[in-house]
Amino acid sequence: MESTTQPPEPQNQWMARFLEFWQTFKKNRNGLIGLGMLAFILLLAIFAPVIAPYDSSSTTSAGLSDIYNPPSAQHWFGTDDAGQDVFSNFIFGARISLTVGFFAAFISIIIGGVFGLVAGFFGGRWENFIMRFTDIFLVIPDLPLMVVIVALTKPSLLNIIFVIGLLGWTTTARVVRSQTLAVKSRKFVLRARAIGAGKGHIVIHHILPLVMPILVVQAVLVVSLAILNESALSFIGLGDPTALSWGQMLNYAFGRGAMSTGAWWALVVPGFGIVWVVLGLTLLGQGLEKVLNPRLETHHLMPGRLSVQKEAGTSASNKEFLLEVQNLSINYVTEGQAPARAVENVSFALKEGELIGLVGESGCGKTTLMLSLLRLLPAAGQIVNGRVFFNGKDLVTLSDEDLNDIRWSGISIVFQGAMNALNPVRTVGDQIAEAITKHLPAFPKEHLQTRVVELLDLVGIAADHKDNYPHQYSGGMRQRAMIAMALACNPQVIIADEPTTALDVMIQAQILDLLDSLRKKLGLAIVFVTHDLGVVAEICDKVLVMYGGVTAEYADVDVIYNDPKHPYTQELLKAFPDLTKPKKKLSSIPGYPPRLDALPAGCRFAPRCPAAIARCHTEQPALHKITDAHNASCHLIEASQ
Amino acid sequence: MNRTNALLKKTAWSVFTIIFVIILNFFLFRVLPGDPARAGIRDPRLKKEAVEMLRVRFGLDKPVINCFESLNPIKVGSCAINPLDTQFFIYVRNLMQGELGISYHTNRPVADILAERLWNTVLLIGAGQILSIVIGVAFGIFAAWKARTSVDYAAVTTSLIAWSLPTFWLGIILLFWGSANGFPLAGKATPGMSSMPLLQQWGDIARHMFLPTLTYTIVYMGEYTLIMRSSLMDVLSEDYILTAKAKGLSTFQILKDHALKNAMLPLVTVIAINLGFTVAGAIQIEAVFSWPGLGSAIYEAVVRRDFPVLQGAFLLIAVAVILANLIADLTYNYLDPRVQTE
Amino acid sequence: MSKDDFLVVRGLKKFFDVGRPSLFSRRSRYLHAVDGVNFTLRHSEVIALVGESGCGKSTLALLLMGLEDPTEGTITYEGRNITHLNDHERKDVRRKIQMVFQDPYESLNPTQTIEDIITEPLIVHGFANNANREERVKKALEDAGLKPADVYLKRYPHELSGGQRQRVVIAAALVLEPEIILADEPVSMLDVSIRAEIINLLAELRITRQIAVIFITHDLGSVGFFADRVAVMYLGRIVEIGTMLEVLENPQHPYTKALISVIPVPNPRLRHERIILQGETPNPIDIPTGCRFHPRCPVALTACNVSDPPFVAQSKTHQTACLLLVK
Repeated sequence: MESTTQPPEPQNQWMARFLEFWQTFKKNRNGLIGLGMLAFILLLAIFAPVIAPYDSSSTTSAGLSDIYNPPSAQHWFGTDDAGQDVFSNFIFGARISLTVGFFAAFISIIIGGVFGLVAGFFGGRWENFIMRFTDIFLVIPDLPLMVVIVALTKPSLLNIIFVIGLLGWTTTARVVRSQTLAVKSRKFVLRARAIGAGKGHIVIHHILPLVMPILVVQAVLVVSLAILNESALSFIGLGDPTALSWGQMLNYAFGRGAMSTGAWWALVVPGFGIVWVVLGLTLLGQGLEKVLNPRLETHHLMPGRLSVQKEAGTSASNKEFLLEVQNLSINYVTEGQAPARAVENVSFALKEGELIGLVGESGCGKTTLMLSLLRLLPAAGQIVNGRVFFNGKDLVTLSDEDLNDIRWSGISIVFQGAMNALNPVRTVGDQIAEAITKHLPAFPKEHLQTRVVELLDLVGIAADHKDNYPHQYSGGMRQRAMIAMALACNPQVIIADEPTTALDVMIQAQILDLLDSLRKKLGLAIVFVTHDLGVVAEICDKVLVMYGGVTAEYADVDVIYNDPKHPYTQELLKAFPDLTKPKKKLSSIPGYPPRLDALPAGCRFAPRCPAAIARCHTEQPALHKITDAHNASCHLIEASQ
Repeated sequence: MNRTNALLKKTAWSVFTIIFVIILNFFLFRVLPGDPARAGIRDPRLKKEAVEMLRVRFGLDKPVINCFESLNPIKVGSCAINPLDTQFFIYVRNLMQGELGISYHTNRPVADILAERLWNTVLLIGAGQILSIVIGVAFGIFAAWKARTSVDYAAVTTSLIAWSLPTFWLGIILLFWGSANGFPLAGKATPGMSSMPLLQQWGDIARHMFLPTLTYTIVYMGEYTLIMRSSLMDVLSEDYILTAKAKGLSTFQILKDHALKNAMLPLVTVIAINLGFTVAGAIQIEAVFSWPGLGSAIYEAVVRRDFPVLQGAFLLIAVAVILANLIADLTYNYLDPRVQTE
Repeated sequence: MSKDDFLVVRGLKKFFDVGRPSLFSRRSRYLHAVDGVNFTLRHSEVIALVGESGCGKSTLALLLMGLEDPTEGTITYEGRNITHLNDHERKDVRRKIQMVFQDPYESLNPTQTIEDIITEPLIVHGFANNANREERVKKALEDAGLKPADVYLKRYPHELSGGQRQRVVIAAALVLEPEIILADEPVSMLDVSIRAEIINLLAELRITRQIAVIFITHDLGSVGFFADRVAVMYLGRIVEIGTMLEVLENPQHPYTKALISVIPVPNPRLRHERIILQGETPNPIDIPTGCRFHPRCPVALTACNVSDPPFVAQSKTHQTACLLLVK
């Protein structure tokens, strides 16, 4: 059954959560570097009196000859315009710049956090007022306003902290508000309201824990901005004359002839400090964001992996089949881990006009298999064995150019018509026309729009929708549009990936009817990927049942439903509701499908199989031929043959 | 609500914000203690007649606004006076006529001073923005396309470092390097250039503009690279890119026809929000390079405590940024079809 | 309405204001999510609410849970009118009616442990300091099929499978010992092979704890064996209501007939003639005149364009709103 790791004890729960966070954070190189940089400068600032070679107020020995001395043994980074040691001033200056940065940021975060939380959570007039107010201050340029206010008041450190703090909350407020809104609309908050939880309870237990990570990342950003702002204000001459921050050091150096004297040390060193801190904070922020707000760093245009052939394949293609998949195996490769065997040794074949159903539940590999047919696997996917013959050509070893020719014109795909399967900023007609111009360059331009209308008509969409955008179509219409687009180049095979899964049962019936009639009218062969056994029974000729990445059973549809031999097929049928037998009590299969990186030794279904014997847990069954048109991978079959 | 309504609402809101800024600008200079004209009024060394003359000159003999004689310190006055005869309405009336006060330092009208400098800043910011957008977008596209390769890491690291540089410091370093390599040290043009042929004048301006524009470009290019990269990576992981790939389109075709337009839309918003920050950069750069623009006008006004100039420059900058934001907002609405239709 | 009916819904309507079509029109347009629903529920009864998207079933669930305020109509619970109670007054009713949502991945706060999640309802209702609080939590977990409870208490939702998460949601619903569970598509996001687990669990709870279940679904087949009654919804109204067998074996409303005919049957030998309706469910903003189904009805008469059909009883328990049945 499931793994039963001992749960951690209560006192160590916080420790455990922190350790888990640290594990993930450690992997991010940038984040670690940033943390190191910050730690270094903080230590420098804290231990300033110990580390600095000269006391910050040692002006007694300064004479004209001491001004702007180049770096030497007594002064590692030379002296400044007042004859003081640059290095010591740099270290003590760290204290000032960091203090201003942190305290100002603290003020900004508190104000921004409260504003954002109140606006996002309470909505209505509160939100309106707060966000309008925020928008005004967002648009007013901040440094000029800070300059005006500090110039009109006194340039003391405290004042500067307040001014920067009181003007730096705007982005935080916006970010916190949108995160609060996002969390508020999640189902578990609705559930909490349904239980009767009050507003305070919801904010403390549900909103805050999920807004905090964003706030932390934002805080790091705000600190770096505060430090940059303080240094800019000081450079312009609005810094506290009694506090020698890095910006103030630069102000004096620049204004008192460091440039003309060539005293680069007085200019480079303080600025370098600022860069060090801000860069450290930025890298830390990046690292934190990767942990707290992880986003996938992969996309569809990353180069794929070259296919390999683990076993020497000698079989050629069988001429009577239009599409023939032989012993296809696909892995997902991750660095530092064993590859996940997503699909292993799957075969099927399709003749002209045939409709085969690829059936299985989540994690069975049907989507991976479907994508691999046209080599559309994500960057981590790799075909490690097998062939895909289409009209005699092996698509697995075809060159990219040749494959691009076959894509869509020989085999096309109908994806789930989710909102983003079509480009939202281009018209539907445009996207259909694109397919035609790509594969049929000789197609006369004047007839292009007529052809698009023809295709839309074929799937039951009125011509005036041609120039609409995908968001103006309903879900059912979008699916039809995808079918029309798939037909644009007169392909021989269409792969339909769960085309009706998200649709209402009536729309589903319309789409299935359409596919069936198109199949008959145009002689299409269709590969239909789904988890719905009812749909499969309605329209498929052949069925491939997959489990844990392997073929469980492969046969004609009638055989699958009325004489299944694999225990998984049998159990699955028992679990599927049948309206003609309404009172039949549904059974379920205990447990859950195997994880691809933790596959069981032996038969993948054995842990859940009611008929498993000892051998099933140690040895993977081969695909046994029951009749010419019926295969199943189960040890029990062999025994009965 | 359809497009025209949205357009009207946004424009109305921008106008409201400008009004807010005008009012804020006035009260800042009356509430905060720093204005030396009024501080000077309290200077015990000045003779009474001199004090009165200064007061009348700067319009300080009038009440600030109805019910308040002055705001710092707060002194309540009559509420029944003619509102048009208060400092506030005189200020508004002057604004309507394009009058921004008189400089303490040079006695010239502030409006004239700023008008001279406005275009220099526009030139500098314009050139810098365009360059940083072009370079940043190009780098960002390249980094996203070649994600997780060494090209990507290099682009990201460079951008992060560029973003972390304080603008004025980068200016100082470049100026230091530039002065040793024959670049002019300050200003927009060499004195005496105005009698030369136009082409030579422009060449001269270009030489002066090179380092400040370079500073500007480096600082902002980093941010645009990161944002473009992030935006394009989001777009490239969308389902419709997989559909395009399945259609047999080449990588180049997919980038050109499907990805770039979608990825650039968010950039428009960012450029708009950034306008406020780029002004901050302009102040620093113009200060370092003595470029005669609005930014250095603010810098000099701070140094010399020339508050009318400071007030005028702030107002001008704020209004410009607000208007630019509005234009960017409307442009975005126009470009994104999802916003267009009901 | 009989004495055993403890939840009574009469004339329930919910309209959402979707604004004026332009700045210059006077009147707002409304989305008629629920447009006049009547039904009753007895103790330990299971009623299935069936319909496609746009029929209002989810809004109806929110209305029954008090998460939305009805525009019109009444909800009565054990004789008490609970239609417009405020949050404070509604609190003890909330104990009696609990909800199970569709998405097991979104229904649980990822930062809470399972123990926190199940204890939360007790805290909200003031039972937090009771001595037997831990007992109640463990019992709820075990009644929901998560045994032994100790193993699950300190786990986080991301460590559990979809089916286990849904059980956690049910356990959190059980801990307050409710009388009604409202399940809104509780299994449609789970794998087929584990759906029966959850459905069987609900069927069992109905017997062991005498909990009534309102089961909202679009898949009639999944509730066939344990629902007592079925109500078919279309565009905000119930168009047919009856016992499970009555509706399945003798559907009267043309929509019900079409719906039943297109639900796929997992038997290729039973491929039958399907009544496939054209087009899609219209926008609930522009409800058709007369019978709201008439634009898509394969057997509509001209009268259907004009008159809103009343309910006609086919038996004591079976009623249908169709003009064709009016003699």
